[in-house]
Amino acid sequence: MPLTASQIDSHVQVVTPENIAFEYRVAGPFGRVMAYLIDTVIFALAILAISIVFGLVFSALDLGGVAELVIAVLAFILYWFYGGLFEALWNGQTPGKRMTGLRVVRTDGRPINAVQAVLRNVLRIADSLPIVFIPDFFFGEAPLVYQTYLLALVSMTLTRRNQRVGDLVCSTMVVAEDRSRFGKVPAPDEPELDKLLEAIPANFVPSRSLAKALSHYVGRRRYFGPARRQEIAKHVGDLLVARLRLPPDTDHDLLLCALYVRAFHKDDAGGDDDALIAPRVPIPAAAPVPVQPVGPTPSSTPSPPKPTSGAPFA
Amino acid sequence: MKAAELVDSRTPLWRQLEAFCIQLENRGERAKLGAHRRTEFAALYRSACADLALADAHQLPSETVRYLHQLVGRAHNQLYRTQGLESQSWWTEMFERVPRRLFHDRALRLSALLFWGGFLLSAFLASGYTPYPQFAEQVITKDGMLAVEEMYADPPSLGRGFNQNAQMAGFYIFHNAGIGLRCFVMGIFLGVGGLFAITFNAVYLGAIFGHMSTTAQSENFFNFVTAHGPFELTAIVMSGAAGMRLGFAIVKTNGLSRRESVLAAARQALPTMMAAVLLFIGAAFIEGFISPSAIPYPIKALVAMISSLLLLGYLVVLGYSTQPDDDADEQLALR
Repeated sequence: MPLTASQIDSHVQVVTPENIAFEYRVAGPFGRVMAYLIDTVIFALAILAISIVFGLVFSALDLGGVAELVIAVLAFILYWFYGGLFEALWNGQTPGKRMTGLRVVRTDGRPINAVQAVLRNVLRIADSLPIVFIPDFFFGEAPLVYQTYLLALVSMTLTRRNQRVGDLVCSTMVVAEDRSRFGKVPAPDEPELDKLLEAIPANFVPSRSLAKALSHYVGRRRYFGPARRQEIAKHVGDLLVARLRLPPDTDHDLLLCALYVRAFHKDDAGGDDDALIAPRVPIPAAAPVPVQPVGPTPSSTPSPPKPTSGAPFA
Repeated sequence: MKAAELVDSRTPLWRQLEAFCIQLENRGERAKLGAHRRTEFAALYRSACADLALADAHQLPSETVRYLHQLVGRAHNQLYRTQGLESQSWWTEMFERVPRRLFHDRALRLSALLFWGGFLLSAFLASGYTPYPQFAEQVITKDGMLAVEEMYADPPSLGRGFNQNAQMAGFYIFHNAGIGLRCFVMGIFLGVGGLFAITFNAVYLGAIFGHMSTTAQSENFFNFVTAHGPFELTAIVMSGAAGMRLGFAIVKTNGLSRRESVLAAARQALPTMMAAVLLFIGAAFIEGFISPSAIPYPIKALVAMISSLLLLGYLVVLGYSTQPDDDADEQLALR
């Protein structure tokens, strides 16, 4: 079965209760390992801080053993439930995930519940298999236990949503939250553009697929140098020059920009479909105001005859 | 109206929604948000959803569509949130539903049978009456035998102050509850990992018990292990059972899809595992403070009896019911 684009580019579609399908980008193993490392560092620092604070306080009271008891209990809780507690309380994020912009959600896009949050983090132990012992690491002391996370890696590779075993059991996935700011619709403003626009036949309107390709091109052309732009634009530019009967020395990059402007910006044909795309959802600005019916405008609509006061009863 | 004008007219709404998202993602700022502002957020979210749904019909530029996807996803994550830990439900879970579930749990019976069967058999084989004298050495190894014998060379009361007791209790919690959780996790490998973990622990512990009964240190050993035995061994049996339940759910689905079956089992197994962790913690305190103390043996035996009775009360008195309410659990898990 051939792969569709969404299967290759790691987007998964989620249908909301509003019956809108939107896309999440699933985080891969190498995006997630950063969050894991940050969490590991935070965990280690937390243990260190707890040890120092409780160690100092209790040994001042000559209760060193109680300090170790408290430290061991806190270490136990942190070791097994750090991720679970944070993900349950922080809406699917740990500090590391928050810093790297990741979030755990269910595979259907809904938020996870506490059971899923705790379980997928306890099952991390299964994901970290196989364990490798490196003996005699520090001068013959206890062997260093190294968690390879190979099982998690294999499982992520084999599943479409990059799920490790804990994710599979809990039906969760890790998505990357895109924080990109809104960029305005790009408006190319090369000086020769207007002249070229006039040269293009007025009745030529780019088809839907061409418009899509144009928007992809113009959205990214600022990252390319002039030579590279020409190279990319040449393929479709040659065809368009022939079809629009433009002079053969037309700049291909400029031609695509002109067509883009034609498709998305300048509106010469007149607003024939204004009614379709007028704003639909009235947003109350501060306090909801009941929508006033638009009063009759004398110029366009014939106003109903008003009962003028007086005449019959005068 | 062309796409650019449409985008220009909508941009203020999108920016407003984005500002809301930033505010909602910050815990401190979220609390300041009043109720009517939140309904405004919902309206903005719905309008962004509508814009995204019509993006293709309006021929929006691809960059704008990508922006809308992330904006809707971001707002969706703020609108539909995790419900937190729900402390109330954890209490009823622990003292009403977990015991009822355990009372009917076949995985618990299997786990208990394997553990206690393996334990008694192994103890018999390692004891003085064994038909197979090398058994203890093959299971525990020579070094292991020496280490255990050395550990119990002194009677428990010697050389332990309050501080060291507390320190050991901490160690037992970290170490033993960790073993329990590992038993649980290994269960997801179709239950086989759980079966292995339970059997291994049963045989190993049984061999140590059997072997120690033949040595000179047997009095010290049993003096030490009696008090915390019931809690600790039951906790191991329970964690193994919880893990197996998870693993068996992959195989036996009861008509659900495999994914739903595992989810439903997870919903039931996790509170059971938490009960086991609490037992481990109780056992660790007994093991840290009572077992190594100079308290006379009959009192330690009394502690063991009381804890056994508590466990029985939990499983039978709280757990007795004509049938498990697992149907409700499955509904919960699927919700």
